[in-house]
Amino acid sequence: MITMNNFHFKYAGSDCFALQNINLTIKEGEFVGVIGNSGAGKSTLTYAINGVIPHHYHGDFYGDVSVDGMSTVEVTPEQLSACVGSVFQDIDGQMVASVVEDELLFGLENFGFVREEITQRIDDALATMGIADLRYRSICTLSGGQKQKVALAAILALKPRILVLDEPTGELDPQSSGQIFTMLRELNQTYGITVVVVEQKIMLLCEYVKRLIVMGEGSILLDGEVHEVLEHSKEMEAVGIHIPRVATLANLLIDKGLYLGRLPRNLDEAEAMVREVMA
Amino acid sequence: MIRFEHTRFAYDKTPVIDDVSFTVAKGDFAALIGANGAGKSTITKLCNGLLKPQSGRVVLNGLDTKTTKTSLLAKTTGFLFQNPDRQICKNTIAEEILFGLEFVFDDEAKRKDQCQFVLEQFKFDGKRDPFSMSRGERQRIALASLLARDPQIMILDEPTTGLDYRECTQIMEMIAERNASGVTVLMVTHDMEITQDYAKHVLVLNQGKLLGDGDVADVMTNRAVLEAASVSPAQIPALAMRFGPAFTHVSTPEQMAERIARGCRA
Amino acid sequence: MMAGFLDYIPGTSFLHRLNPLTKLLFSLILCVSCFVTDLHLFILGLILLNLALGFYSGIARRSLRILSALIKFSIVLFIVQVLVIHDGTALFYLTKSMPITDLGVSFSLLFVMRLIAATMPLTLMLSVTQMSDLSNVLVEKLGIPFRYTFALTTAIRFIPVFAAEMGGIVEAQTARGVAFDTKNIFKKLTLLLPLCVPLLISSVKRIESGAISAELRGFNLRKRGSGYKQYGIQGIDILALAVVVVIFVLGILF
Repeated sequence: MITMNNFHFKYAGSDCFALQNINLTIKEGEFVGVIGNSGAGKSTLTYAINGVIPHHYHGDFYGDVSVDGMSTVEVTPEQLSACVGSVFQDIDGQMVASVVEDELLFGLENFGFVREEITQRIDDALATMGIADLRYRSICTLSGGQKQKVALAAILALKPRILVLDEPTGELDPQSSGQIFTMLRELNQTYGITVVVVEQKIMLLCEYVKRLIVMGEGSILLDGEVHEVLEHSKEMEAVGIHIPRVATLANLLIDKGLYLGRLPRNLDEAEAMVREVMA
Repeated sequence: MIRFEHTRFAYDKTPVIDDVSFTVAKGDFAALIGANGAGKSTITKLCNGLLKPQSGRVVLNGLDTKTTKTSLLAKTTGFLFQNPDRQICKNTIAEEILFGLEFVFDDEAKRKDQCQFVLEQFKFDGKRDPFSMSRGERQRIALASLLARDPQIMILDEPTTGLDYRECTQIMEMIAERNASGVTVLMVTHDMEITQDYAKHVLVLNQGKLLGDGDVADVMTNRAVLEAASVSPAQIPALAMRFGPAFTHVSTPEQMAERIARGCRA
Repeated sequence: MMAGFLDYIPGTSFLHRLNPLTKLLFSLILCVSCFVTDLHLFILGLILLNLALGFYSGIARRSLRILSALIKFSIVLFIVQVLVIHDGTALFYLTKSMPITDLGVSFSLLFVMRLIAATMPLTLMLSVTQMSDLSNVLVEKLGIPFRYTFALTTAIRFIPVFAAEMGGIVEAQTARGVAFDTKNIFKKLTLLLPLCVPLLISSVKRIESGAISAELRGFNLRKRGSGYKQYGIQGIDILALAVVVVIFVLGILF
């Protein structure tokens, strides 16, 4: 679905590469989380997937990036966005309308869908996100969590096969953050949408995603199933990423010779681990 | 010292803060937690006079915020917002810090000393342009500008939101250091791990009412209070709660591992 | 605050249901009508009509607020005007060289009444019309390119966003001791000036983010006929236009 081969990118006017030597394959239906400290190149990676690089942000581009068989350099961002939907961190900035319904209409009108199709898609997208009651609300009266759901609904209405999200919960409280990730998991499992999400909150990623990519200084440092990646806690600490505390606990139990199994990714797995050790 | 006495505040008719009373003593480190819309930011703004209570009192180091000018309260109180970009308005780090000091110290030499001191403490190059730096670095500039003023009270409104773990730790360590030397801290946060690690005292707010007020160890393991305020505890205490009385007052992975090991031996 | 005068107030009144184009024409003609007449009473009638329409569409409070703001502004203008105009017969003298004349009073009154009568319909129109509907008909019926109407609606949409941001900035600066609680207006202005830097920075970022988001959602593919919502002309539109044309003609006659 997404492949990057020896991909390097340097923003125009910058001295150093934002991304270097990226080799990455993401298959259809994967749910991938990307974590890394600031300046690691996470946002640049999302821009490379949705075509903002090289079409909006220019610079030195080496290697190739292809999405759904299209080389991102050769096609227009519009052609790409028929396949890739993007959600950004700045919740207010990414909105283009003042009423929820108009926000959903914007993309649908632009892509020239016929009237019946538009009606259907708006109903479906609002229902999927569980925000049918917000349809005629003014966006500025919504909470952060509701706004982010509207942004997601506006993208879903375009029926993308890939979703790319850049810190979608950056401005949200833990409860709304959890809701957004629950939603993403459902979109991934029920509709088979490939999801790539950049996120700082390691506990959310461990709880929800299947595959975790750790970035540092423009490169991919670790890439694999969440359980596998957590094994490398030392490497993660070195780039300033702290594994969830239940995983730290597991490491302590392993050091004491009390536990041999996999590292837990969430509370339930940790509970099972502790019961196993105590038994 | 910060003291709320039966404080009420409303933007329109419905009260956002309803009969809230608490005291944050000198040298205390209090975390204010609760879901979005609970009124946490309103409390912080009431603390330094940005908002004035409609009834009851807010007393800051003995000064009633209602009768004291906000700019006067600001001399002894530092405020760190979630978004550093609302504060930074100068082209170099040094200018930014000096600008903040103009309102606190009349003596220019003193201002330069204070500025130099924090620049060294934070290892900043004073000539750098804040706008070319990352979000986390700009938050550190905002903090440096605040610490240079030698505040007696620091009010922090989600100071670590949007920062990565390393930046977050840097900010929190600086704050903890000042707290250790006697500065009073009141911090709003959503991060229960930070609350667990740094706070001594926790205030739980829900829909404008204070539900919990006490030691970290007590409040953070009080399931009834946390649930009522829609707050989930930090991972380790949450795990410990699942294992009953043998695991009370466990907050770090080390303590938890120790208890488990003891349980196994027994 | 500006935002409190221009944003949409939801409703289902007669005025709300008009075609946005009708609303635009209606308010423009009403606006022009006060310039084709010299009759004070006629303009007073127009002001009362505006107020009545405001009450009828359920935005009484907004109408009164607009009117009172305009009156405050008008009083200042009126005083200045009366003092400068020396033509006509003197009614009385403020000082020896400063007469207050009948012509001055009459002209100044006409001037401020026109100002009120011309401003009210436009603000009322914006209160009962969604900006998106207005921009949609401008594209669809008048063929104005979407990128222009989009820029306009975006600018208006950002007013409250930026006002909130500015409020946040002022708060942040007050918290560090900038004395915005001063009574001296000039001092306050000089304090506000440096704050434009953070506002500008956050605005530019926000606009860039909006541009990328719009581009990725096919902004450049948009055509004149892309609009989903349809805006038909109904009986009430014809009626409203007929009424306003009659008013205009009456204005010319008197």
